[in-house]
Order: sequence, then structure tokens, then C-alpha cells
Amino acid sequence: MIIQLNDINKTYPGAVPLHVLKDINLSIERGELVSIMGASGSGKSTLLNILGILDTYDSGSYYLDGTLIKNLSENHAAELRGRMIGFVFQSFNLINYKSALENVALPLFYQGVSRRKRNALAMEYLEKMGLADRATHLPSEMSGGQKQRVAIARALVTKPAIILADEPTGALDSHTSKEVMQVFRDLNAEGMTIAIVTHDPGVGAQTNRIIRISDGRIEEPDKAL
Amino acid sequence: MIDLFREIAQILAHNKMRTFLTGIAVAWGIFMLIVLLGMSRGVLNNFNSFESAENAATVSIWPGSTEKSYCGYREGRSIELKRTDINAIAEHNRNNVNLLLASKVINNVQISTPRDYIADGLFGVFPENQHTDRINIIKGRFINQSDLDTRRKVIVINSQTANVLFGEGVDAIGKRVDAFGLSWLVIGVYIHDWNKASFIPFTTAMTLTGSDGTVSNIAVKIKNVSTTEEGDSLDSSLRRTLAKQHSFAPDDQNAVHIWNRFTGYLTALKATTILEIAVWLIGIFTMLSGIVGVSNIMFVSVRERTHEIGIRRAIGAKPRSILTQIVVESITITTLFGYIGIVCGTLLTNLIAKLTEGSDMLVNPTVDISIAFKVTLVLIVAGALAGLAPALKAIKIKPVEALHDE
Repeated sequence: MIIQLNDINKTYPGAVPLHVLKDINLSIERGELVSIMGASGSGKSTLLNILGILDTYDSGSYYLDGTLIKNLSENHAAELRGRMIGFVFQSFNLINYKSALENVALPLFYQGVSRRKRNALAMEYLEKMGLADRATHLPSEMSGGQKQRVAIARALVTKPAIILADEPTGALDSHTSKEVMQVFRDLNAEGMTIAIVTHDPGVGAQTNRIIRISDGRIEEPDKAL
Repeated sequence: MIDLFREIAQILAHNKMRTFLTGIAVAWGIFMLIVLLGMSRGVLNNFNSFESAENAATVSIWPGSTEKSYCGYREGRSIELKRTDINAIAEHNRNNVNLLLASKVINNVQISTPRDYIADGLFGVFPENQHTDRINIIKGRFINQSDLDTRRKVIVINSQTANVLFGEGVDAIGKRVDAFGLSWLVIGVYIHDWNKASFIPFTTAMTLTGSDGTVSNIAVKIKNVSTTEEGDSLDSSLRRTLAKQHSFAPDDQNAVHIWNRFTGYLTALKATTILEIAVWLIGIFTMLSGIVGVSNIMFVSVRERTHEIGIRRAIGAKPRSILTQIVVESITITTLFGYIGIVCGTLLTNLIAKLTEGSDMLVNPTVDISIAFKVTLVLIVAGALAGLAPALKAIKIKPVEALHDE
């Protein structure tokens, strides 16, 4: 079990407190390709942020690869994030003044990997994404599909336990979306665990399991397609 | 560490304009500090080369004329200083008098050689006048005690006088000049900014001018005086002594003129201290504005980069690394541009030093290199502090919020 959520609750404080996640129970096995689907405001992004240790939760428990993720110091959270989770975002989130290679190598910089080694590793993953010839290009010199593949290479470079993708095809046309989804399917076939948050049924259909979330609750849990 | 600097170099290069503007603020602050300090140092050096506490411990007395009637005498009577006054002063002010000197000035004396002549003042002096009048002997010697004792007809002349009388490059020592129908042996040549007088032994001058025993002025080397009040009370004490000697009103300010160099020195010292403090304050505030500039820019820079910081944190950057990065970044800017400021400031002060060489306004208007280093140190610390506040703010933002910030 790579991800285990038990009775997770999350409320955003404010004048009108917003209870966004209500008793979420969820588990994801190693090697799964799942999608988390829901309308906007359903709480799926919050769920993804909690899974990615980018956000905290109020009650319940979250085990990531056997480690309890609760009340972590920000330094510890950053370390776990860097080691165990690879993020892919809708807006790519590449650093615009760094070349493709530098972007991919950046997570390794924060793990203290030597420059030579991280560039070699980064190059390896760029090649895997078929972007070896784009290594020195800046994000502004690449297409959306290429940028997203650079982002995927960056997520993979630390050999994470799971890849969390937040609307990875949201900014791409349908043809490019298909390509990117194929990349995810290929990675999954190699054994990588992947969770994709999306509201696109077409994307959901290409995953092995769909977790539907609406109004902060998981509907029909573990409904296999 | 090299990686960190590579990273920072990339960030700074990416934001050239911002880096440049911040840098200019810092460099300007340091530059102004160095230049201001250099200038004030120049003024102070000038003052210090002019006066030392030891040299300043002198009271000079000149004759005047009374402005009050006293003891049956009418006002407007000329008072002449006598040789006997010297003993009276010594007797009545034992605690404060270290040494008494007098000089006898004979004006407009023609001094000639077969080659040429000059007409200038002839000063009968004591050996100690070499120090009090700052006579810089370049050849031969000054008047000595033995000259005084035996009333020798010896003379010390200005180098320009020597050039006129003997020709340029000719050694005047041991040669003879004529004055008062007598032949004088040149024993010394001196250089001075403005003093062109010729010096002869005091006793010889007294003999030359007859037997009335008047002297041109009296100089008192004083001791045990350290405040303006003590200086002033010594002045009145000297005036009382002379009033008794010459029967003028003890409060008559015009009968004799007393100039206490020491109280003047104290006043000037106070003024220079104030000048120095003022310059430091101006410099420090200029530098502060540079530092505030850096802090401001760092705030803006961090604000602008919130999203990027979010990305970095999502891919595993610890708050610690973000903190280090921002602080080192601002230290780099302040140090680099501070150094540029120091170099420019030092170059300018050295240039000014070159241009004003030998002037009376500024003497060596440059800043000690150790001050430059101290300033750099302050700068680095300031840079670290300037970066710290925005850096702490940056890591307080949750990564998820930072990522949403576009």
C-alpha cells in the first residue's frame, strides 16, 4: 500500500468555515494508475495537496509508503516531498530562466547530488521523454506538450514512490493530451504508481481506477471500470 | 557551495535591471561614505598638521595701547613690552609657565651680498623658536644657546632669500651677508610656506637696537593647563602681572594683546570633533538608505518570485535552502556593489588628494584601508539582515499558496 488515508477531514477557517474534505478513506496500491475526478470545488485539489504534503489536514491519518504524514516540520515535509513524490502540474511550473536540463536537474540540487551526476541523470530522463535535443532550450522555446514532458522528467528524476499529476492535460490540445496520457500509461506499465487529478472524463477513462469526489466525499469508493 | 553561487548568479543575471538598481543604491551609499570620510579626514589632517596639543600650549603677548585711564595716566598710552617683563611673568605664574621666549623684530632690514639684496624683517629669536615657529631647516642649523650667550652675528635665512643672495643651487652655509653695516655668517637655510624672515640671536638683536630693553613680543610656553577655563584664568593672570609692571588697568584688554593658542586649539578641536561626528552620521545614514534599498528590493524580489519559490518547495526545497539562497543573494549584491563603491570612492579621494597636494585646504583626504574593510564588514552584515526579513516572509508562505500565486 503506497497511500493510505483514514478519515481525513479538512476545514478551511474563515468567517464561514469551509469543510472541504469529509471523512476521506482512500488507499492506492503500488503500481496503480488512478484518477481522482470531480467538479471544481469538490475538494479534489485539496486532496491532492494533502497527498503531496503541500497542505495539512485537521484530523484522520495519512500514511505514505508506511510513514505517518502528520505534524511534520516544513523541513521534514520538504525532504519527504523531494524523495517520495513527483509533481506534474497543469501549468507545468517550470522555472522560466532555466533550460530544460536545469529544470529537470533542480530537484536533485536540493538533495545535494553533485552537479555532474544530476546533469547525467537529468539527461537520461530527458532522453526517456524524447527531448534530448531540447536539453538547452528554455521553457519559452518549447511547445506545451514538450514542457509537460520536461515536467514529467523532472517528477521522475528523483525516482519517487508516486507521481501526483494535477490536471496534467488541462492546458494541452486533445492530440497532445493523448500523447501525455500515453507517457503516463507507459510509465505505469514500467511499474510507476500514478495518481491524476482531472475533471476530464476522457483522461479518467484512460486510468485503471477512477476515484470520484463530490462535495468533499468520495462517491462509490473503489468502483472499478 | 559553488552550486549555490551558480544558482544565485543565474538569478541575478536573470534580473539584471533589478540587480543593477539595488547595486547602485548600495554602491552609492558606500561611495558617499568613503568620499565624505576622506574629505573630513583631509580637513582634520590639515588641522592636525598645523597644531598639536604640545605646540599649541603657547600664549603670545604683543604690545598695545591703553584704552582706560589709570593711576593718573591718560588712555591711549602705548605700552611697550620690556625684557624685564619676562622675569616678572616667570615669578608670578610659576605653576603655569614652562618656558619664556621673547623676540625682537627689526623691520625692513636690507640684507645684501655683492650679488643682490633683499629687504625684509630680521627676527631676534631663541633656539626654541625653531619649534614654535615651525622652521624647517634644510641646511646647516638654527640659532643655538651659544649664539645667544656670545651674541654672535650669525643668521638663518629662507631658501628663497638664499637663492636671491647667492644664486640658485649655491650652498649659502658659511658665506657672509651684510646688514646694518655688519657682516653676518649664514649658519642655516630653512623652508616655510609663507615665512620669509631672517633669524638672528635674540641677544644680538637687543644689542643692535640699543639699550631701551623693549621686545617685540613675548611667548609663554605654558603647562598644567587643560581646559578653556584654566586657559582664560591664565590669560587674566598674565594681564594682571603686566598691568602691575606697566601701570595700566588690569581689565584693560587693549593695553597688551594676549593670544592663547591653547584655548584656540581647544575650540578648534571641539569643532573638528563635531565635524567628524557629523560626517560619520551623514555617511551612516547614506549607507542606511542603501541598505533599506536592498531590503526593499529583496522584498519585491521575493514577492515576485513567490510562485517560483512554491515550485522549488514542491520539488523538495527545504525552507532552510530557500532562506540561505535569499540571504546569500542579498549578501552577494551588497558585497559586490559595496566593493565597487569602495573602489570608486578610494579612487576619487586619491584623485582629490593628488589634485590638492600642497594646498592649505586638505591634507591627504583619503580613508584608511582598514575603515574601508570595516565598512565592507558592516555591509555584509547589513546585507544578511536586509535579506533575512523577506526570506523569513518567503518561507512562511505555504507551498500550496505559493503555487497558486501567478
